[in-house]
Amino acid sequence: MKTKRIASFGALRLGVISTLALALVITPLGVGMAASTPSFGKSCPTEGTSTGTSSKSLQCTKNSSGKLTWVYVRLGSSTLSPVPALSAPDGTIEFWHWRAEDKIVLQSIIDKFEAANPGTYINQVIMPSGDYTNTAYAKIRTNPKAAIFATFRGSQFAQFAKGDMMTDLNSQRYTKRNVVANGLVAGQYGGKQLGIPYQYLFNNPVYNTAIFAKEKWALPTNLTTLLSWCKTAKAAGYTPLAWSGGFRPNAGQILNSMLMNSAPDYATLQNRIEAIDTGSADLTSPWFTDMANKYKKMADAGCFPENATGVTDAAALNLFATGKAAVLPTGSFSMGAVKAINPDMSGKMNLFSLITTDDKPQYVGIHNNTFILSVNKNATRTNQKIANAFISYLVTGSIAGIYANATSQHVNVLDVNYTNVDLLNTSAWQAKKTLLAPRFLWLNQGVRDLVEDALIAIVGGKPVDATLADFSKQIKQKLSA
Amino acid sequence: MQKKKSRPDHRVYYWMILPAIFIYAALYLYPAISNLRYSLTRWDGIGTPKFVGLHNFTNMLTNDDLFFKVLGNNVRFSLLVVTLQTAFALFFAIFLVKNTRTTIFLRTLYFFPTILSSVSVAMIWLFLYDPNFGAINVGLKKFGLNSFALNWLGSENSALYAIAFTQIWFHTGQMMVIYIAGLQQIPLELYEAAEVDGASKWQQFKSVTWPMALPTTAVVIAYTTIQSFRAFDLVYAMTQGGPNNSSSILATLIYLTAFNEFRLGYAAAQSILMVITIVILTLVQRRVIRTKYGV
Repeated sequence: MKTKRIASFGALRLGVISTLALALVITPLGVGMAASTPSFGKSCPTEGTSTGTSSKSLQCTKNSSGKLTWVYVRLGSSTLSPVPALSAPDGTIEFWHWRAEDKIVLQSIIDKFEAANPGTYINQVIMPSGDYTNTAYAKIRTNPKAAIFATFRGSQFAQFAKGDMMTDLNSQRYTKRNVVANGLVAGQYGGKQLGIPYQYLFNNPVYNTAIFAKEKWALPTNLTTLLSWCKTAKAAGYTPLAWSGGFRPNAGQILNSMLMNSAPDYATLQNRIEAIDTGSADLTSPWFTDMANKYKKMADAGCFPENATGVTDAAALNLFATGKAAVLPTGSFSMGAVKAINPDMSGKMNLFSLITTDDKPQYVGIHNNTFILSVNKNATRTNQKIANAFISYLVTGSIAGIYANATSQHVNVLDVNYTNVDLLNTSAWQAKKTLLAPRFLWLNQGVRDLVEDALIAIVGGKPVDATLADFSKQIKQKLSA
Repeated sequence: MQKKKSRPDHRVYYWMILPAIFIYAALYLYPAISNLRYSLTRWDGIGTPKFVGLHNFTNMLTNDDLFFKVLGNNVRFSLLVVTLQTAFALFFAIFLVKNTRTTIFLRTLYFFPTILSSVSVAMIWLFLYDPNFGAINVGLKKFGLNSFALNWLGSENSALYAIAFTQIWFHTGQMMVIYIAGLQQIPLELYEAAEVDGASKWQQFKSVTWPMALPTTAVVIAYTTIQSFRAFDLVYAMTQGGPNNSSSILATLIYLTAFNEFRLGYAAAQSILMVITIVILTLVQRRVIRTKYGV
């Protein structure tokens, strides 16, 4: 008995020593492997630099002794590795979306999917975005073949969700293991995961790095430096912000940045927006008036183009793409369009932190997760299975990479190898403290339009208080009808 | 014995028009009645419509400044378009009524905008109206007319008129063709007689062309009025009704209420008031033309 105990103690001792020895060998090996991350070199020179959105992404962070080191960033909601795509049963389904500009790349992905699943066919049904909400809703609802469809975050997703048209994807393994956890929120409704937000956009202004380098400008870090920079840029002959006041959908993008540091926390911001959305608060509230006054200050400092309220989307894009404007206040999604106008802009764009407070900012930027992919609850069971398999295929890293690099859009998927230089330059933003675009917290599109119109009118030179009072009245009338 | 003449069975005719009646009922009558029904409800397009009686109408008439603003826009837009488009169409038609190679070429040229899609027209004019780089302002500034270089579509004062001008450019050619067809029906003898009587060109126009073209004018005016109320595509593509709804017309307002805000019941009520407005305007026009010119 005693001999046996001694022997087992010996075995235990041997086990402990071997484990320690193994740990001593493996740890430096692992550190060495992490340190030799191919794209970013052995040392990390800039805090916040990220290796991207891999399931084992690294981020350059200061350790307790203040030294910059690579650490793992867990971007998925599971620590397990991403799962491969599901296989699909035979059949034909329709994929409804509005992104005509993505038709070719999506078709190439569909071709691969069909090749991997012989007997399965997917047809794209693309509707103009302007008609999508109203027409697609009615058609998808009654079409059992329309098994997969996309919606955008905010009023449209809410509208489709209210119509009980989407299956819950919460139990799908790919939801937890293949998708960036942060980005899932936009596809949740009533405690269910009703869609997978596919795109990970930054609704931050985009700036021309070449102009900033040439003019030796430092990026503004607060409201004071922003206003001062606007004056400097204007004096140098540039349009500081190529803002399209004549096209509300893009003019409103800047609202995200204006809102991001306007409230003590996200919950307060959400409550304040909801109060305006439902009519329990007015635009004349001190919080909103303060923000509107910042628009006025920016207009007075010359941040916006001449005749800003008449500048169309195309004109603003041209101003930026041709180097006449330093910043395009829309988002990362505009980079593709800028390069289409001027391919020389490739590699000369990065995201601009539009901070409009002189206090310490809580957030440095905005992100949004949209192109939310859902499975139609009214589709047949087989068609739903095909749709589910196709979503699982789209959220595998290699396939999502094809989509991302072709469309110049980040995706909400782990293990994507971004080869597009502009996506690489900006992928670090996925690890920064950015706010989920608050503009889409307005669920009543009519109210949001009026809010944005009021701010456009203020930039156009209308007095702040009178304009806010006028638009508050319009909102009240709209909500009482 | 006289053979009794067999009477044709008229019932067969009713059967023959039945398909047309069916199509009309399905595509026009049923939607119109449905619209009337929905106008009495609050409905977001998803749930069950909730009956609210005449609330949508009373609210619109007593507590909706936007509706009256847009109605006012639409009336101004229509008056401007109807007046100028009719005048230009008649003017061009008078000069191009004869069939020569030049006139046929010019007719084709003036008619050309009509065959373009409205979105293309909107894009062309968006480019022309650009306040900073558009050809109009660049041209005006080149001639030193800086004060005339406006923020055409970005200003509440000019957006509606800028779109109205585009609408006139877009459809004048179409109305010109209708006028030419009408003017070609006027007997040449009337002009010859007027000439013999020593009538000047202006007197010929006043005493021959204008009275004889009145039936065509009535058609052109009625058609242009309806067209101006339906100028949805141009307004939507150029300004989406902005800035601050200054260029919004009833068609865009109804669309946005229904499909942007999902207030389908309210939009149905708006559309009924729009139809009533068109009917009133058309009746007034008809009455004026009839009492003044006896057409």
